[in-house]
Amino acid sequence: MLTPGTRVNRLLRFGGLGVALAALLITGVVAVGALVAGGYDPGVALGALVRGAVGSPEQFFSVTLVRSVPLILTGLAVALAFRAGVWNIGAEGQLYAGAMAGVWIGLAAGDLPGWIVVPLVLVVASTAGAVWALVPTLMRLRLGVGEVITTILMNFVAIHLVGYMVHGPLQESRGVFPQTDALAAAARLPALIPGTRLHVGFAVAVLLGVALWLVLRGTVFGFRLRAVGQSPAAARITGRIDGKRVILVTFLASGALAGLAGAMEVSGRTFALYEGLSPGWGYTAIAVALLAGLHPMGVVAVGIMFGALEGGAGAMQREAGIPAAWVSGIEALVILAVLAAGQGRKWLVQTRLERGRPAEASVG
Amino acid sequence: MAVASEPVDFVRRVARLGLWLAFLSSACQPPGEDAGAPFQVALLTSGPVSDAGWYAGAYEGLQMIADSFGAHISHQQTRTPAEFDEAFFAYASSGYDLIFAHGFEYQDAAIRAGAEFPETTIIVSAGGRVAHNVIPLIFQLEEGSYLAGIAAGSLTKTGVIGMVGGVAIPPAEGTFDAFEAGAKSVRPDVEVLVTWIGSWNDVTAAKEAAVALLRRDVDILIHNTDAASFGVFQAVREARGDGRDVWAMGMNRDQNDVAPELILGSAVIRIPEGFVEITRLWYDGDLPGEAYYAGSKASLVDYVVNPARVAEYTPELLALLEETRTGIREGTVDIPRIQFVSDEEANR
Repeated sequence: MLTPGTRVNRLLRFGGLGVALAALLITGVVAVGALVAGGYDPGVALGALVRGAVGSPEQFFSVTLVRSVPLILTGLAVALAFRAGVWNIGAEGQLYAGAMAGVWIGLAAGDLPGWIVVPLVLVVASTAGAVWALVPTLMRLRLGVGEVITTILMNFVAIHLVGYMVHGPLQESRGVFPQTDALAAAARLPALIPGTRLHVGFAVAVLLGVALWLVLRGTVFGFRLRAVGQSPAAARITGRIDGKRVILVTFLASGALAGLAGAMEVSGRTFALYEGLSPGWGYTAIAVALLAGLHPMGVVAVGIMFGALEGGAGAMQREAGIPAAWVSGIEALVILAVLAAGQGRKWLVQTRLERGRPAEASVG
Repeated sequence: MAVASEPVDFVRRVARLGLWLAFLSSACQPPGEDAGAPFQVALLTSGPVSDAGWYAGAYEGLQMIADSFGAHISHQQTRTPAEFDEAFFAYASSGYDLIFAHGFEYQDAAIRAGAEFPETTIIVSAGGRVAHNVIPLIFQLEEGSYLAGIAAGSLTKTGVIGMVGGVAIPPAEGTFDAFEAGAKSVRPDVEVLVTWIGSWNDVTAAKEAAVALLRRDVDILIHNTDAASFGVFQAVREARGDGRDVWAMGMNRDQNDVAPELILGSAVIRIPEGFVEITRLWYDGDLPGEAYYAGSKASLVDYVVNPARVAEYTPELLALLEETRTGIREGTVDIPRIQFVSDEEANR
């Protein structure tokens, strides 16, 4: 027998994919309307969208899956933090911290063999992401300052630090352009499927998704994390859960995941650090995590879906001549539809719950 | 057995989604190549083509290429360097012959794509790396800035002139060096103040920088930014509102009509004409395998006096500007330049 509580959890988590599809459907209708209103042929535009995302194995592996890597990793970072009631809005800054540290160690250790350099880059970048999250963590735990504000502020610090780095200490050796030198071949992520641009970062991201899922549902720490997230007071009253320690570990792990995303981008795609490296992955990650119902495997699925959407959006510009602003607008519509659908799902769960046990609901 | 069934359930859902997508993609075939077009040209920009400046000029150039050659054209705005390889690959693999990548930031990805697609020619605006099919297109805006400097040095009353720059990269620094040299060629004791705001489009930062410079007695202010230039003009407009005799100068494109009452003139690059010129060279097989410098010789760079403010210029100054312009074309006037192009294939 399922208790009402587990039923709600199941609805919340596994309704995720259904909600995602419903959101996409609604968006599709709105997008077609917008395209027609703008004088574009929706058939050509949406055809380009689908072809650009999944039109060929090349598109699927080299575009959709490659684009999904930073979204999955930052999505996992946000989902993990939110599950513990830690509102980490700072994945963007943690990603940049990871990218900076990853490039730095990659350039410094580029002469060593790849099997040493690549893991080194990933570990150092994750550590940098965790260190970037440490400041908001300590401010929350020691001073009681809300992390929503501090993580956002740390994003700005990271973005400006990247600007300083590529004009200063990490600037390319010719000293001309604001970018770093290119990473040596040994510091670049190897291809996951030869002949495509898909790098091993995708496999790492998926494995981390599986690992997080197992940790959350099958370990004592996962239980404690969920308990703290659902009710910090109740968790404290048990006398068996150190809420501060759970928050510390979760926050740092979240930062490490986002930092890893930064390393994957510089080591797997751009091979150098630039200003404006991230088009806001750390913020899109919030939509990814929420749409996935904060479920790690959901994050992987939604991350791939968003990767497909963004890959297809590029093709819409190239093949259908839709301006980038329209494409961004359509992407924003998807996120809005997601949020609306998420609220609808909560409402659905609540009404079912109340119908199930009217007496308790009225007492509560 | 909820524990075992959940992942299975999940995989089943994802598989079903994949099948649907495969069905959808097979239903829509890619469009055939434009049979009537002699060749295909693509443009990549890192910013919106509605910026009334650097990117807008490139887009206008792309459209002129379609008009004058009948070429099939396409444009993509990239949002992150992580998209560069994907965009080059998409264009080159679908048969685009000429790709304009409008910014230095594309240069590394252009070298990678150029090696993979030897039949495709890539033009990198303000780029610094050359391969046989990767050609930097460098606008010698320092020639126009030098003329602007002569005008500013002649017209300043306080003897202090200022410059607000976007990001301190060599092509932008070169314009300021030349502006200063031009001003000092007519007034050796002129003081030149510079502020870099670290962004091409931050209007607020540009305005703050301009206000600070105006407080330090600057009475003629030039900029090298994109959309941020509006902040510079606004600061000058407000200072004039307070009764000060201060002026602005435009750069990159002819901005004289943006604020005709306060802009003395503009140092311009004619990006569209530059794109058409380089396309013509490429079409005729005359494009050299080295950086292409677009300057005053082909009238792709110039200083344009604001027709509404021509009364501020003395006839002697106008004559001096014309004389110097001719001198630059003929190579008799020396202008400070920054060299930043290196040959990748020769270095290998």
